[in-house]
Amino acid sequence: MRAVTLILLLLSLMVNALPISVLAAPPVEEPDPTPMVIDPRMDRPVLPENPSRADLGSIVYFEYCLACHGDQGQGLTDEYRQMAYGEDMDCWQSKCHATNHPTPGFIFPRVVPPVIGEGTLKRFVNAEDLYQYLLLRMPYYKYDMPPEIPDDDMWNVTAYLLRINGVLPDRIDFDPQQASMFPVHLTARSHGEEQVVQIVLLGSLALVVVGLLVQRGWRSASSPASRPSFIHHLHPPSIPRLQARWRYTLSAGGLAVFCLLVVVFTGILEMFFYVPTPESAGNSIQMITYAVPYGGLVRGLHFWSAQALVVVSGIHLLRVIFTGAYTQPRRLNYLLGLGLFLLSLLLDFTGYVLRWDEGIRWALTVGTNLLKTIPWIGQALYAFVVGADQPGATTLTRFYAWHIFGLTAIMLGIFTWHIFRVRRDGGISAPPPETRSDSHRITRFELVRREILAALLALIILIVVSARLPAPIDMPIQEIASLGQADPEAPWFFLWVQQLLRYGDAFWLGIAVPLGILALLALLPYLFPRVPADQQGRWFPRAGRIAQVVAALLAAGWLVLTLLELF
Amino acid sequence: MPAISRRDFLRIGTESLLALSGILGLGVLIRYLSYQPEPPPPDQHIAGQETDFPPGSRTVLSGIPALLIHSTNGFQAISLVCPHLGCTVQEKTGRLTCPCHGSQFDEDGLVTRRPAAQALKTLGVEVSPDGAVIVYS
Repeated sequence: MRAVTLILLLLSLMVNALPISVLAAPPVEEPDPTPMVIDPRMDRPVLPENPSRADLGSIVYFEYCLACHGDQGQGLTDEYRQMAYGEDMDCWQSKCHATNHPTPGFIFPRVVPPVIGEGTLKRFVNAEDLYQYLLLRMPYYKYDMPPEIPDDDMWNVTAYLLRINGVLPDRIDFDPQQASMFPVHLTARSHGEEQVVQIVLLGSLALVVVGLLVQRGWRSASSPASRPSFIHHLHPPSIPRLQARWRYTLSAGGLAVFCLLVVVFTGILEMFFYVPTPESAGNSIQMITYAVPYGGLVRGLHFWSAQALVVVSGIHLLRVIFTGAYTQPRRLNYLLGLGLFLLSLLLDFTGYVLRWDEGIRWALTVGTNLLKTIPWIGQALYAFVVGADQPGATTLTRFYAWHIFGLTAIMLGIFTWHIFRVRRDGGISAPPPETRSDSHRITRFELVRREILAALLALIILIVVSARLPAPIDMPIQEIASLGQADPEAPWFFLWVQQLLRYGDAFWLGIAVPLGILALLALLPYLFPRVPADQQGRWFPRAGRIAQVVAALLAAGWLVLTLLELF
Repeated sequence: MPAISRRDFLRIGTESLLALSGILGLGVLIRYLSYQPEPPPPDQHIAGQETDFPPGSRTVLSGIPALLIHSTNGFQAISLVCPHLGCTVQEKTGRLTCPCHGSQFDEDGLVTRRPAAQALKTLGVEVSPDGAVIVYS
């Protein structure tokens, strides 16, 4: 049966084929002088279903960009011209793109740069930047003329360039709203290297911590190789053992010193790239965060150690009140410490404003307008801080100057004084020697070992937090007077003021209450001056009860108002 | 081989790791600070059309900066960057003088007065088929 079918099939084929080969005379084929062979590399891309912006952009690229920038974005290379244009490959010859080009033509640049490949987008900070460039300059022949490519298509081709250069991941579509937040030269930074270095660094630091923990006598006077170093000499020869315990100091003062060192050091590093102008501030911060090697880490450390400084200073302040250490002879040092706390808040706020992105817009507006509400001097104070009728370039320059120099110089001065006063006042508060339950003392070697341990642990935590939780960043502010796009939110340590301001008069709640609290804290050693010597140097002495309750209420009030504002 | 005590081993180990952390930190610092935010300057410039520079003309191209000379031998370009310390040389009465330290060069860029020790750099010039003059720096 199958054989019959096969024969029939063959027969029908022969019958069909016969007339053609026998009857039709073969036409005399004129050889086409220039066979139009178009390389499949020049094919129009095929859109997938539900095309993304990048997919749509590939069509725009094909229509407008490919002719000059090449099928692979390689630029106008010899190979590409040969492949795409064959014998017309000399674009610069007469009557093509030379001076005597036909009417709708244009003179051609000698070099057409590649747009795909490593480093080609390096000059752009973010997607907005790239888009603006394309809008202004491309297509080349339309330079200085009304734009030819519709905005939306320009966004699409921006998305395409980001995708094809490996900056925009496949699964994410591009959102023009977020363009100024979209870093373009992510590829400029080697994330693999940074992760490896961070992990090795953390591992090494962790091992040092373990090593220091098991060596109680590290670099002590009993070990032959060591004499007191410069660092040791910054400390008293010995201090009471009870006063060196973590449960007494909470390490808060020492950690504040360490945070200050980290903040100053990373701040200096940021100054190498930060540009304090309204046009460039946001972009330069994006550059630090996304493009500079380890820039994200440096900025993260600066941000997080600044926040940690506020937290540990606050804890330190409470510790001093709760242990009765604010009274004489340490009253002056208490006031200096309070000044340092205030300065750390001002530094935090000025640093926050330096971001000059949507995240800080309302905090800056509200913070500076609050100054205006002060009777008599409000306007003058506003003019002094803002430097103009509304925040702008002058404001940014002034905040920058205060942040990196004015406030910092005052802070470092008072900081040095504060540390000196600790020595002058005979160390941190302690019970008189005859009433101590433990008369042992620890040496400066042991003290330094503990300080280094605390500092290394803090550093490890700061590095881990900085790597995991990047410092906040938002879209750069384009125009200060325009409508903002971000949620208005004060920096976290001023959220309580933001909540207070909801209840009434701006001056009383926004200026008078915070200043009143500051004054109350400053007056504590005058209002409640007596903590007898035998009650000093331990937690919650009976004599200082009222001051402790006041401080606890203030802390609780701060917490409640902050939580109310958050939720 | 002298035995090393447990204590010394721990101390040396800990301090070596501390040093390693420090070196890593230093490496991070160097990588961070060596980033260059600005793109390199262009290395070729379109000076204009051939017809803009008639034979015998000497034109200062301030953007490069260079001196474009159209002589009987064709186009020639001399860099106006003084080889001494990089100031821009000025042409005055047929003589090229550096305003910073007084070096002088003749019209072909050869040194006639120190301190500059080398002649002004000669730049590549090319005239494209459509008549654009391109200077390579």
